[in-house]
Amino acid sequence: MISTFTSGERQGALIIAGAVMLFGLIMAVAGHADPMGVHGWIVLLFGGATAYAVLRAVYDPAPQEDRALSYYDDPTKVGLVISLFWAVVAMGMGVWVAAQLAWPDLRFDAAWSSFGRIRPVHTSGVIFGFGGNALIATSYHVMQRTSRARLAGQISPWFVLLGFNLFCLLAATGYLMGVTQSKEYAEPEWYADILLVIVWVVYFILYIRTLARRNEPHIYVANWYYLAFILVVAILHIVNNLAVPASLTGAKSYSAFAGVQDAMTQWWYGHNAVAFFLTAGFLGMLYYFLPKRAERPIYSYRLSILSFWGIVFFYIWAGSHHLHYTALPQWVQTLGMTFSVMLLVPSWASAGNALMTLNGAWHKVRDDATLRFMMVAAVFYGLSTFEGSFMAVRAVNSLSHYTDWTVGHVHAGAMGWVALITFGSIYAVVPLLWKRATMYSWKLVEWHFWLALAGTVVYVFAMWNSGITQGLMWRTYTESGTLAYSFTDTLVAMHPYYVARAFGGALFLAGAILAAFNVYMTIRRAPAKQPERDYPTSSEATEPAVPVAE
Amino acid sequence: MNILLLLIPISLAMGAVGVAAFLWSLRTDQYQDLSGDAERVLHAADHPITPRRRPTQNLQESGQ
Amino acid sequence: MQSARANLTLRRVQLQLAERSDTVLETVLKRLAEVGHPATAIDATELENEQRDEADTALLRAVAVAGFGAMNVMLLSVSVWAGAEGAMRHGFHWISALITVPVVAYSGRFFFASAWSALRSARMNMDVPIALALILALALSLVETLRGAEHVFFDAVVTLTFFLLIGRYLDHRMRGKARNALTVLSKLVVKDALRVLPDGQTLVVAAAEITPGMVLRIPAGERMPVDVRILSGATDLDRSIVSGEADAVAATAGDEIEAGALNLTGPVEAVALRPVQESFIADMTRMLGSAETGRGRHVRIADRIARVYAPMIHLVAGATFLGWYLATGDWLTSAFVAISVLIITCPCAMSLAVPVAHVVAAGRLMRDGIMMKDGSALERLAQIDCATFDKTGTLTQGGEVRQMPETLAEGPMSVLAELAGSSRHPAALAIAKGLPQRFGHLHSVTEVPGHGIEGGLPDGRRARLGRASWVGDVTADRVEGSGPAFGLEGAPMSRIALSETLRSDARSALSELTHLGIATEILSGDDEERVALVADRLGGIDYRHGLTPAQKVARLETLEAEGHRVLMVGDGLNDTPALAAAYVSMSPASATDAGRAAADFVFLRDSLAAVPNALGLARRTARIVRQNFGLAVLYNAVAIPIAIAGHVTPLMAAIAMSLSSILVVANSLRLNGTPLPRPRLLTWRDSEKAQV
Repeated sequence: MISTFTSGERQGALIIAGAVMLFGLIMAVAGHADPMGVHGWIVLLFGGATAYAVLRAVYDPAPQEDRALSYYDDPTKVGLVISLFWAVVAMGMGVWVAAQLAWPDLRFDAAWSSFGRIRPVHTSGVIFGFGGNALIATSYHVMQRTSRARLAGQISPWFVLLGFNLFCLLAATGYLMGVTQSKEYAEPEWYADILLVIVWVVYFILYIRTLARRNEPHIYVANWYYLAFILVVAILHIVNNLAVPASLTGAKSYSAFAGVQDAMTQWWYGHNAVAFFLTAGFLGMLYYFLPKRAERPIYSYRLSILSFWGIVFFYIWAGSHHLHYTALPQWVQTLGMTFSVMLLVPSWASAGNALMTLNGAWHKVRDDATLRFMMVAAVFYGLSTFEGSFMAVRAVNSLSHYTDWTVGHVHAGAMGWVALITFGSIYAVVPLLWKRATMYSWKLVEWHFWLALAGTVVYVFAMWNSGITQGLMWRTYTESGTLAYSFTDTLVAMHPYYVARAFGGALFLAGAILAAFNVYMTIRRAPAKQPERDYPTSSEATEPAVPVAE
Repeated sequence: MNILLLLIPISLAMGAVGVAAFLWSLRTDQYQDLSGDAERVLHAADHPITPRRRPTQNLQESGQ
Repeated sequence: MQSARANLTLRRVQLQLAERSDTVLETVLKRLAEVGHPATAIDATELENEQRDEADTALLRAVAVAGFGAMNVMLLSVSVWAGAEGAMRHGFHWISALITVPVVAYSGRFFFASAWSALRSARMNMDVPIALALILALALSLVETLRGAEHVFFDAVVTLTFFLLIGRYLDHRMRGKARNALTVLSKLVVKDALRVLPDGQTLVVAAAEITPGMVLRIPAGERMPVDVRILSGATDLDRSIVSGEADAVAATAGDEIEAGALNLTGPVEAVALRPVQESFIADMTRMLGSAETGRGRHVRIADRIARVYAPMIHLVAGATFLGWYLATGDWLTSAFVAISVLIITCPCAMSLAVPVAHVVAAGRLMRDGIMMKDGSALERLAQIDCATFDKTGTLTQGGEVRQMPETLAEGPMSVLAELAGSSRHPAALAIAKGLPQRFGHLHSVTEVPGHGIEGGLPDGRRARLGRASWVGDVTADRVEGSGPAFGLEGAPMSRIALSETLRSDARSALSELTHLGIATEILSGDDEERVALVADRLGGIDYRHGLTPAQKVARLETLEAEGHRVLMVGDGLNDTPALAAAYVSMSPASATDAGRAAADFVFLRDSLAAVPNALGLARRTARIVRQNFGLAVLYNAVAIPIAIAGHVTPLMAAIAMSLSSILVVANSLRLNGTPLPRPRLLTWRDSEKAQV
């Protein structure tokens, strides 16, 4: 991979790796009395490993061929592999967390393995590690193919990918040491946040520059979704993480906002993270890979653009529905509720558009598990957006909030929609990237599909039951007006569902392990195949030897 | 809710960026052929879109 | 070729060629036809007007700005409805005002400008109540904001602007395509010609510079730049765009030819008779300019309704104000109620009623390969009761052999095939199409312009195919009859009867029209025998033959004077004035540029079923439009009393407006789902009826 770098680029990569090492050293020394010191060593090692990888190939012959002739797929490939690695690790954590709720002894009496510490490892690992890496990798793929141009840069794609993974690493290891700013989905502390801002700005510039050199005049709709994902996540991340470090030699920081203001900012961020990280980015994936795999154009391309603007707008103010019945003024809650309900329109337009695209290709859906992943993902997208709008209604929320119903809703979206569309896209793109005829085993894909579907359904149904049971028990009063059930009573009632959830999660994890194995074997074993022409069109050498008209 | 003094301008600014992006897409004729654009990604690899050189020159050069 | 890009929406392929080359174009067209997408060439210069429709973009930009404003103001007003009070509400009203005023000023300028120009010429259009409602509501809201009052209409004003602009934009897109028949026709004029100087040298001159008396050389394959008289040379001419005659005609020295006729077989030298401005095509252009009156009488349904609706709204709003003022004496409350009447009656659904239905219908037609230029064309098409057809190129497509001479042995037959196969003459093409092609019987083949094709047999004899008089010079006898003659030297002559191929589905399409209650008639420039034959094969419909372009127009005028609303279907240049003069017109994609430009509809597929299909959809659309207006009226009937009673809050106004608009859009979308009426297969009962 390094051998495709020119010597100047190799030097540049070394300088960046050196700078990372230097930062690591500074952090390690300054924060030696704090978890920040440990993070310093991790940064130092990460930079060192990168430098080693570059150094090993630094005297390789410089690339001869014209790089503009081919798409730049190395970062995509690495990103997908890392994404699968995170999937297995983070879903494994998830199963462990779920099991701890059913059998608390599984904590093994360690501080680092307590629920409060490993739960964020699971959530961040799945959302950022698995989802984020998949988004970055597929965005590289999609932006190149739809622009018919090579990535604008040789180092920056690596910088974005590796920098992002360093962030994930700092986040996960930080949680285990108790480093957190206690904001859901934004737990990492200030230095990790700064790193992410730099990475994200480079990512945005890379995307814009690649689009700017496109050879296809039209910007395909998937790019709009990816761009919104990058741009808005950057803004949300910056605003929500405005904080003052307690000291520059320690990880602890204090939010710039206080009380309900902080809560409002957090959920403005939190729900928009759902919107732009877990929805817009993955819709970009859907709008590219689903038509590609089905070999049918999007049912209504116009609708896909309209629903883009609809989603972008309606999501912005939906966040306050997370704060029903809190100190937040009533009207702000109502505002969030109203927009959450209206959000259903563009969401269902997207889901319907995806399903209508498949109309007429149902035989392909039947035969092709990869396409089925995408189809079921669209169905779950429709279901969970409906559920979300419904739960945002204050009256419904009074029952559902703080119960497992919310957990079930999130997982219907995360497993059913986000993970399934990601796995579908991975299965679609891996053979293409590694120039293989097919995946190593289609039977494993089929197994994965059913495991994932069964896991999701078991999980979601368990949580619905558990959540509604819980909610109803909490609001049941005796004749004398006291609560009918103690907290322990509700825990006893939920226990079977917690066992079911752990089982559903385990099924899903098993599927993810199959996927990782299948992808590994595809890279190693599957028969090679020279793909049809799959390269950018800017270069002159790609013109047919005989002009078309002759 | 002083926080709105921050969130409202940010959201308005983001909306303005959206409008600007939309106007830009209008100006650059992004919506001239939606059905073609939906179709094109499917066949993206089949043929070049913008050959930079004239075929005739091509032939002359290869002849020399 | 430098680049090729297909636009699937417009069904166009845009080619950029390194240099001008007809062979490349021909190859591309042929290849396209092979893969099942027959195409016709259009000149890119023709598209220039269309490419940058500034007004279109300006409207869309206004829609985007209004959309942005509407969304943000809606956000703020949802907050207010949800209970934001005191300083917060006051602040939100101010932010709304800051967004609304510039947005309405920018996006609403179309309504203000249109209303202003209408008022200045003392007319009334739909934009007058719109502009009034927008301005008054905006002013009232500003006053209320200054007072710190509870209700403001900013959300209603800006959403109204948004919805109305969407309607305006769709409407503009429907009628936007400027009728550029005249410009196209003037482009059909040959741009330059080859002038022969007295010393024999040639010189390229611009057509506009040709003066009477100039000697010109016109090679085979080119059109006559001006009206000319042939000095030397002989050729066949395709005068079909001039006269509609299907047959090529021979021309030799002394013959006069109209500008626009296509020289088919041999180069000629000719003297110019008239300058370009007075030549045939220029005549045609003038006729077109004056003929475009048929559709002028049509008043679009939206305008008809506006004439009634707009004054009514003002009356109601004025009366409301007066009534409230007399009853309460509080002018502010009275103004508030009167303005809420204006807002609630603002023709949001009305302004969407027509364009949305038309856009959906246009999309539906497009899927069936029918392009529509103008929304009003759909309204006009729905009203027709009479359809007239050109023959050549419209009802028929090329020629076919009706009867081969039965007496020919196999040997002479293959000679005939080879002779026919070596010429591009339409008659030869028709003959060759029906015969197996084998080559090698003939030593030499020469085409004698104006006469036919001659070949030398191995034994030294000659074989001729062509004009009977010329073939008779070598054959043993002469045979009377019609159609081209064929004979070997010294052998008997035989005649080949040719007829024209009917366009596919022509017969079923015409019977379907009859079924829909439409009278049909052929208007052709061709001779009686051939027109009668085609009319007969189509089930014995009425026909008129030998018509000049002017006579076609005259016939249409007669029909219109009798109270008919006539559809004209035609393709040739000679049909162009008639296409423009008819109440509504259609032409096939294979028509001349001028024909296509003059027609309201262009159908891309070969089948003539497009005509009844389009008619069926037009009638359905008209029904939907009426329903849409019905819905809008119903909405008003409910909303106006509530508004007059003073019970309308801004929230209600916004919801009611959105709901009625959505209802209208949903109703229009129904057009999408219904299949177009397919022409039924012709049953024996139909053909019997047709014969009677």
